[in-house]
Amino acid sequence: MPQVFIDGQPYEFEEGGKLLQFCLDQGIEIPHFCYHPALSVPANCRQCQVKAGLPARDRATGELVTDENGLPVINYFPKPQTSCSLDLVDGMVVHTQYDSEEVAAIQADNLEMMLINHPLDCPICDQAGQCPLQNQAYKYGPEGSRFEFEKVHKPKRVQLGPNVVLDAERCINCTRCTRFTAEVTESHQLSIVNRGDKNYPMTAPGQILDDPYSMNVCDLCPVGALTEDYFRFKARVWEMSKTPSVSDFGAKGINVDYWVRDNQILRITPRANLDVNEYWMPDAARLVYERYNENRLQGARVNGAAVAWETAYDEAARVLKDADGSVLFLGSAWATVEDNYLLTKLADTVGGEVLGYIPYHEEGRGDGWLISDDRAPNAQGCERLGIRALDASLLQSKLAGASVLYVLDDDPVAAGVLSGADLEGVTVILHASHATNETLPHAAVAFPAAMCVETIGTYVNEAGRAQRLRPAKMIRSMNRSLMMAMGTGQSRIDRGGTPFDRWHDVTNKVDCLPGWTVIPELADRLGRPMHYKGPERVMDELAETNPAFTGATYPAMDLLGVALEDIGEPA
Amino acid sequence: MTPNSFISPQPAYVPGEPVERHVADEELVWTEDEQQQIAAFRAQYPTHDGAVMKGLWLAQDKFGWLPPEVIQFVAETLEIPYAKVYGVATFYTQYFKEQKGQFVLDVCTCFSCQVCGGYDILHYLEDQLGITKGETTDGGLFTIQEAECLGACGSAPMLQVTNGPYVHNLTTEKVDALLADLRAGNMPGFQSVTLPQDEDELGGNRRSDTDAVTTYQTPPVSETLH
Ligand code: SF4
Ligand code: FES
Ligand code: FES
Repeated sequence: MPQVFIDGQPYEFEEGGKLLQFCLDQGIEIPHFCYHPALSVPANCRQCQVKAGLPARDRATGELVTDENGLPVINYFPKPQTSCSLDLVDGMVVHTQYDSEEVAAIQADNLEMMLINHPLDCPICDQAGQCPLQNQAYKYGPEGSRFEFEKVHKPKRVQLGPNVVLDAERCINCTRCTRFTAEVTESHQLSIVNRGDKNYPMTAPGQILDDPYSMNVCDLCPVGALTEDYFRFKARVWEMSKTPSVSDFGAKGINVDYWVRDNQILRITPRANLDVNEYWMPDAARLVYERYNENRLQGARVNGAAVAWETAYDEAARVLKDADGSVLFLGSAWATVEDNYLLTKLADTVGGEVLGYIPYHEEGRGDGWLISDDRAPNAQGCERLGIRALDASLLQSKLAGASVLYVLDDDPVAAGVLSGADLEGVTVILHASHATNETLPHAAVAFPAAMCVETIGTYVNEAGRAQRLRPAKMIRSMNRSLMMAMGTGQSRIDRGGTPFDRWHDVTNKVDCLPGWTVIPELADRLGRPMHYKGPERVMDELAETNPAFTGATYPAMDLLGVALEDIGEPA
Repeated sequence: MTPNSFISPQPAYVPGEPVERHVADEELVWTEDEQQQIAAFRAQYPTHDGAVMKGLWLAQDKFGWLPPEVIQFVAETLEIPYAKVYGVATFYTQYFKEQKGQFVLDVCTCFSCQVCGGYDILHYLEDQLGITKGETTDGGLFTIQEAECLGACGSAPMLQVTNGPYVHNLTTEKVDALLADLRAGNMPGFQSVTLPQDEDELGGNRRSDTDAVTTYQTPPVSETLH
């Protein structure tokens, strides 16, 4: 295998790569701005420069030339090279800033130059705390600036489109944003305009940046020049926790980070998963963040009245036990695999029937990329459990002879599969996440449901990839599984909390519970306890016993998920 | 402006705001001859992007300047993104993004010209025309601009007329004569400036204004298009 020597260490490499990416893969950090693995390599920021060379060879014999100590003589490039654009070559010798004072000085000078016209308004900048310019200036930059003149002024607070705001003074002209619209979405909506120290990205005259993926430029921007309109000045980065999880926006299973402060989702950003969404996500999938915070259903209810959870469990168990007609169950494409699986077990317990899940497939909604036709995140998970897309007419005919309808995380009235009138004479038990749920007024027992940001579980995306949900925000009654998943012990709140600590804050906790808490409570009361120590064990059982989930254990799914065996089209 | 009254500048076109039209749709057509030229530009490059500069240049020749609708027209003609063409047009000062006078006087005030009196020439012009740099005279005849080095430092101070001929070794008298000529509708001709290697040919006088040598003449860029 070919070798490259970086700071005196030999590394083997596969032919065809570039030096910067190779170093990053090896854990050798080299400061950089314009390089992004998914975009072309313009090498325009000049930050990633290193010293590089090749061993000298005798022209006639091709032999390596050695010095008097017998060491190979290295012919260095006469000038430092941008590592992002430098092809790896066998025998190449590289010195980075760790090894060479010369390289460190070059990088510091480059940063000093980059900061000449930068406003240094970090105290009011949303990017501060997660800013490559700030971090790298701190680590590799000079201590101060020798520039004592008025800086160039450029447009600020420019609304480029519905979702993106530009502060041109902060821009370092790395062109990541323009390359994104040119190369990734090919909407070509941005271009660098003007020249020299006066340039910045802009739309063509009269046009706006309304690319459905526009906010990815905010993630790409290595400074605070492009920011998400909905998130500007909402929270400092260090006040939020960031939890890796999966979006419930459609069946694509977009990997995301949920940013939380005071138990509210304030921001959603894409998390790299090259098998699913690469580095991107659509704007629409970010703008759902308020759904998790607002209009949430709080506290268990029996016939519309707030009751203790225990009372609601007792009532639901009584209804299930005393049912004189058939008991119907609806699974949910919004609920996790675990919850749907427990639902099927509960149905078995009471001799009921799981009729299916309500499909949210909308032909033409998708864009063939990260927005799918299916609005719900887990239809595939239901299918793999043997729960099929619901036939509304079947539901209505079955309802005639039914006495109980048990609905997991859904809203059949709003979905149009039945009307309030159809529910006359049927006792409805409902898990609902929102107070605006239109089936709620017809529910005898209502359990507020934890949403994907509050639960532990698994979604299977439309391509059959099982991916884990992690709890990003706390709910009112945190149980041991949730505590463990959030990485905190039971007593952390009163002991170690500071005002900036996400565990310290007790506001905005929704009084709801995940299905995997509620359903076993009911099973207990029905005399058929489910002995799972949390959702992880539920999934272990499925991975073990159901071939459609083989391999999908929590450790295996980890952060990037597991591609499940193809089970073919549903029968 | 006092130091504390800073208001951030606006972009030339605020995204989404309506753009004033200057050229009517029916005027946005290429003649047969222009179409042939464009086809020739395109043939010169592996991709259409390459023809963008010549396309813009042709459009500026035709419309006098490059309002947004003309830039968009060029983009559509060459089948390349509008934003990209706009970016190119704003990069070069020689593409006029605002309406200019009939004669644009680009006075060089860069280093060599500056030490040889470039600013004196600029201010003299401003006095003569009653406008300051960046402005256009009332009748729309002259625009004065301050330019960076135009590559004729050897005959500083100098100016360029409307992206075309250079006027070298400027003096106030020469400025007066130039203005009179231009008012009469006469563009200055191309004037050869000699290089050190021509000294022999010119009898040792390389600061001569004579149009003696033809050897090194290159025609003005604007003429190369026709
Ligand atoms: S706005 Fe950001 S991403 Fe775009 S060129 Fe400037 S620094 Fe780069
Ligand atoms: S990252 Fe290499 S030049 Fe910008
Ligand atoms: S400085 Fe004026 S032409 Fe070079």
